Amino acid sequence: MTEQEKLTPQSTASEGVSRREFLGALAVAGAVAAFEQLAANPQAVLAAYEEQIVQGTLAQSSADLKALDVLERMRIELLRALQKPVGERRWVMVIDLRKCIGCHACTIGCVAENKLPPGVVYRPVIEEEFGTYPNVARRFIPRPCMQCENPPCVPVCPVRATYTNAEGIVEMDYERCIGCRYCLTACPYSARVSDFGFTYTEEIPVIQGLLGTQTADDYERAPNFEYGKEYARQGRNSPVGNARKCHFCQHRILEGVLPACVTTCIGRATFFGDANDPDSLVAELIASPNVLRLREELGTEPRVYYLK
Amino acid sequence: MAQAISEQKRPAAGFSFRLTDLFWILGAIALLIGAVGMLDRLRFGLAPAAIGSYVPWGLWVGFYDYLVWLEVGSLLLFSGLVYIAHNESLAKIKPLVLFTGFVVLLMALILVAMDLGHFERFWHVYVYADFGSMITWMVWLHTAYLILLSMELFLALRGTGKGLLKTLGIISLPLGLMLILVSGSIFGVVAARPLWNTSSLPLMFFISALAAGASLLLLIVTLFWKDTKSDEFAQLTQLLARIAGWLLLGGTFIAGVIAFTILYQGGGNLQRAAALQLILSGPFWWSFWIVHILLGVAVPVVIYFAFYKSRWLLMIGAALASITFVAVTLNIVIPTLVTEELTGLAAAYHHQKLSVDYVPNLNEWLVVTFVFGFGGVLYGLGLRFLPVLPKDTQANEE
Repeated sequence: MTEQEKLTPQSTASEGVSRREFLGALAVAGAVAAFEQLAANPQAVLAAYEEQIVQGTLAQSSADLKALDVLERMRIELLRALQKPVGERRWVMVIDLRKCIGCHACTIGCVAENKLPPGVVYRPVIEEEFGTYPNVARRFIPRPCMQCENPPCVPVCPVRATYTNAEGIVEMDYERCIGCRYCLTACPYSARVSDFGFTYTEEIPVIQGLLGTQTADDYERAPNFEYGKEYARQGRNSPVGNARKCHFCQHRILEGVLPACVTTCIGRATFFGDANDPDSLVAELIASPNVLRLREELGTEPRVYYLK
Repeated sequence: MAQAISEQKRPAAGFSFRLTDLFWILGAIALLIGAVGMLDRLRFGLAPAAIGSYVPWGLWVGFYDYLVWLEVGSLLLFSGLVYIAHNESLAKIKPLVLFTGFVVLLMALILVAMDLGHFERFWHVYVYADFGSMITWMVWLHTAYLILLSMELFLALRGTGKGLLKTLGIISLPLGLMLILVSGSIFGVVAARPLWNTSSLPLMFFISALAAGASLLLLIVTLFWKDTKSDEFAQLTQLLARIAGWLLLGGTFIAGVIAFTILYQGGGNLQRAAALQLILSGPFWWSFWIVHILLGVAVPVVIYFAFYKSRWLLMIGAALASITFVAVTLNIVIPTLVTEELTGLAAAYHHQKLSVDYVPNLNEWLVVTFVFGFGGVLYGLGLRFLPVLPKDTQANEE
């Protein structure tokens, strides 16, 4: 018996194989199968899937996809969902709290993607510490917009500047919003923020050719593409003065690209997809017994699920 | 003859100071001081204000509701007493009461407009109205109320159309009632904020508005009534003092019962109880206990019931009650919002606008000062140049 085997309590001589060995064998078998199926080239498989999607020949059942990296699987499932009529899609997000390490990459990815100014955040990560020393633990809870099926923020808007679109995403009409912030008070998740018009570069000193608002702010003056439109940050134009919120990166979804917070999650803790697709990863995950949603007692029916 | 008429119309030589001129003089000073904050507000939007995304409403919304209480409460009570109870004495100061309500209404509208991120789009509420929103109802009702009040004031100042004036006055009763209930419902329908989300809140708004309005009416009468030695004055002030006193007591009792049920052990929502505890024993406990309960309820009630024969004490009591009611609206708006909806959220991403620590800052106070300055100037000029005061009263003020 090796030193390693001595230290492994799960070893059972009667069965002749340890748990570790069994799992190892299983992993190897899975990997071999995956490699066979993917021809050792995930990109090629992905391209093949895209081709099948374009041609409409992709089988409804996609057991093969399970061998892919979850990002690749979710992207293929996203492309598949986009083939369906708009009203048949039900976008949901699943966040595995056990995998989230609190790196805030999703927060920053979202800020970069949507060119969010200071004071505007769509996906903060709440850090929670609980227990009493020495039995303490930390938990990280990313908090995007819950895209509620019964959103309290929508009916309170006096000008119908916010609404649920056909895919279930709660959108904003920046040009119509009057900035009363009633929706901010109505959201039980504080998922809406107001854009007060700050810029990162407004306070920096001007050094000709090197620094200064004229030189440095090209990036933050560049338009974002929320809701499929261009919003350059100029003066007090919208979205300055408006309520703003996470929109599941709808502008990316429609182009077949996953939301920025999903692709930047280094722990693969955030999942996205069409819950109406029974073969999708998110449909599998939200059927888990350890799934929960925030403040469910309010009846908002959030489309963001947490795995605990 | 023509020369005689000309001489009669000629304004008196020089400037004769009246006590009512203090309104526009002090108002002008406030206007100038407040202009600093107002310019910042117009130039930089809501960035200089202390409100943020987690505490999206603050001083301005609190003052807005306070002004609505004063405006609608006083006019509701006035119209009720004049047109339903047929109080002849109060009817004599109709132009003055209507003008006071008109000025307060304008102040309220300016203040709430300043709270909008895009106030230049206020007309969207008329064009794209969603009547599922309480704010839509509030804007529409407030607009209707402004039109109605303007018509009433116009007729009252001209002294014509008494029949129409009475009709408008009676219409203003349900309209005012709806406006005050809707302004309470704006908060009452928000399920995310448990302290607001009660069916009793709109009713509390109604009682509070009447209590504040009754005190404002009493203040107007004690300030501007000419013959303060007359029985008519004594009867009118006693009536208003009793109404205001009972409303203050009744409102406080009902609020106390509601507070008891919220705080009762094991019987309530923790977030709701936390927000209420913040009002009762938080950092601004004094604004509730000292400003509202002591100065706004206890002292006025004692005066209203025990010292109602003293004009000066009544004036002080009415002024105290009228002014300190702002502590109530501020305590309704702010503590609920500074109670975090998700624990730890404010620490998750740092920015001054993503904080739940809200204390009104200088910019917000300056804008309020500007609006009150505007109101003071308008009121003072109205008292001087419009026939809002009964002639004999006007002469007395010189």
